Amino acid sequence: MASLLQPDRVVYLVRGEKRIRAPLSQLYFCRYCSELRSLECVSHEVDSHYCPSCLENMPSAEAKLKKNRCANCFDCPCCMHTLSTRATNIPAPLPDDPTKTAMKKAYYLACGFCRWTSRDVGMADKSVASGGWQEPENPHTQRINKLIEYYQQLAHREKQERDRKKMARRRQCMPLAFSQHTIHVVEKYGLGTRLQRQRPGAPISSLAGLSLKEGEDQKEITIEPAQALDEVEPLPEDCYTGPICLPEVTTLRQRLLQPDFQPAGASQLHPRHKHLLMKRSLRCRKCEHNLSKPEFNPTSIKFKIQLVAVSYIPEVRIMSIPNLRYMKESQVLLTLTNPVENLTHVTLVACEEEDPDDINSTAKVIVPSKELVLAGKDAAAEYDELAEPQDFQDDPDVVAFRKSNKIGFFIKVIPQKEEDVDVTVSFKIRHDFRNLAAPIRPSEEGADTTAEPIWLTHHVELRLGPLAP
Amino acid sequence: MTDASKQMMAQKSAKIAAGAVVCVESEIRGDVTIGARTVVHPKARIIAEAGPIVIGEGNLIEEQALIINSYPENIMPDAEDVEPKTMSIGANNVFEVGCVSQALKIGDNNVIESKADLGRNVMLTSGCIVGACCQINTCEVVPENTVVYGSNCIRRVQNEKPQPQTLQLDFLMKILPNYHHLKKTVKGSGTPIRS
Repeated sequence: MASLLQPDRVVYLVRGEKRIRAPLSQLYFCRYCSELRSLECVSHEVDSHYCPSCLENMPSAEAKLKKNRCANCFDCPCCMHTLSTRATNIPAPLPDDPTKTAMKKAYYLACGFCRWTSRDVGMADKSVASGGWQEPENPHTQRINKLIEYYQQLAHREKQERDRKKMARRRQCMPLAFSQHTIHVVEKYGLGTRLQRQRPGAPISSLAGLSLKEGEDQKEITIEPAQALDEVEPLPEDCYTGPICLPEVTTLRQRLLQPDFQPAGASQLHPRHKHLLMKRSLRCRKCEHNLSKPEFNPTSIKFKIQLVAVSYIPEVRIMSIPNLRYMKESQVLLTLTNPVENLTHVTLVACEEEDPDDINSTAKVIVPSKELVLAGKDAAAEYDELAEPQDFQDDPDVVAFRKSNKIGFFIKVIPQKEEDVDVTVSFKIRHDFRNLAAPIRPSEEGADTTAEPIWLTHHVELRLGPLAP
Repeated sequence: MTDASKQMMAQKSAKIAAGAVVCVESEIRGDVTIGARTVVHPKARIIAEAGPIVIGEGNLIEEQALIINSYPENIMPDAEDVEPKTMSIGANNVFEVGCVSQALKIGDNNVIESKADLGRNVMLTSGCIVGACCQINTCEVVPENTVVYGSNCIRRVQNEKPQPQTLQLDFLMKILPNYHHLKKTVKGSGTPIRS
């Protein structure tokens, strides 16, 4: 029965740039545009970086400097679990008196899951608990850094030339157009597009920078081109005939997680610093309001702004499905939950014949024609004994039960496809929404302070499962 | 042959060496020999159905672990004259909570983690670690210092054997008698005492 509550059984349609069908729990609701938004029609912005094991916060600039890795925590190169530091007592000679030995603590890294230890790759035990572990140095670092600097300078110069050309031609007519074009070019060499995006008045400020930078741009970085070699190192003699020691061979995943070295042998797998995770905030692309903004503290899971769809839109859930038979009408029990605190009126409308949204349904559906009334969500209802239950005149053919802010109602489903593996029905749900966030205009009429309800329509699809055999 | 087998069947008791700590709540059935310094937790089960079990020294058998010498599935218990095979377990092994071991031969210094499952035809050498929830039911000898881990039971070889749990054993041998009654031990190989 729990399979009826799976999130992907009931999907809502989001009419954004792309038509996306997603369960309500994964959608956001922009209450300024009064529309549903999915993850693909919002812009994602990085809020902060943090390490998942030591929960240390890091500002973005520092994270970029450390290549998005934590300074204290390590990942097991074998199973990618977090490494923990263990201590052993080893006898070591005292510095004052070489003849006597005292127990000193030595620390090594160990993985609790696959039992890998830092001694497996030959890393000596350290005498300090943290901070003693070094990642091996990449032999090509210097060359790579030099190449990066050269290309950054090249990109900068190209961008300046392009801006100058466009400026001469268009005279600030369409600033947004060419700044986006240069962003696309600059992105290649990773100069950082955040700076451009956050300042819509970019062309003017970059103009100001142009005259300054011209004088500064003196130091030319030259690089030597890469040398092509004629001779390649030959393969070892017993490459094809030598026996393979399977435990020594690294898996592809282990190898590619260390792109600097890509060791082929397990005895060269060194631990790497742990990757940082980031907290992101979401922003509606149309009205630029924040839809989701997490708290800054990595230990807190709450949100400063959380405009999720489940707290604004009534949710449809499947409660029970009878045996569905081809071309026979069956009654399916659904529930509707009201997330807001005021009374909500919901009307269900079946999809019309040529509805462009209705592409997946394989059955005809007959929805209740009357308007369903949902009571408001009252958090204190269970403690309030004196409250009288509100009296709604429910038609027992339509409404099966009513429980605080939830009702169960019947729809009639007639499967249209023989041998249907997944009977899908869709209908439109129309409900009233009171926008409490919008600023209330100073009431000229007097006491009209309640917000005006607007009617929203959503397209809902339900997957009811296979026909009964 | 039948006399010898009858003698075997008459010896249905556990020989617990001096120094071993075996709680009364553990279930020990059949001909089981337990070495010194071995700790058997309450609710552990050691069942010798199809032959005797010999457990070495310094082992740690935790709660709900099941060490069973059972008949192979396709052989009926009393149909033919089945040669009773002895299951032998070496020293310093750890059988963690909830594991099931039917392996006939286990060496020294192995760790069988929680809810692991060993089949009858596996032979563990020394220093092996069978990870949590991993099943080994192939017919093979697991090489030394092998670690089996992960949901797909992938293997790797570690450099050194796992450390013997001497600290834990000492602690348990002090603490368990304070809270549980222990089964009686025998001094040397005397008359078997009913458990």
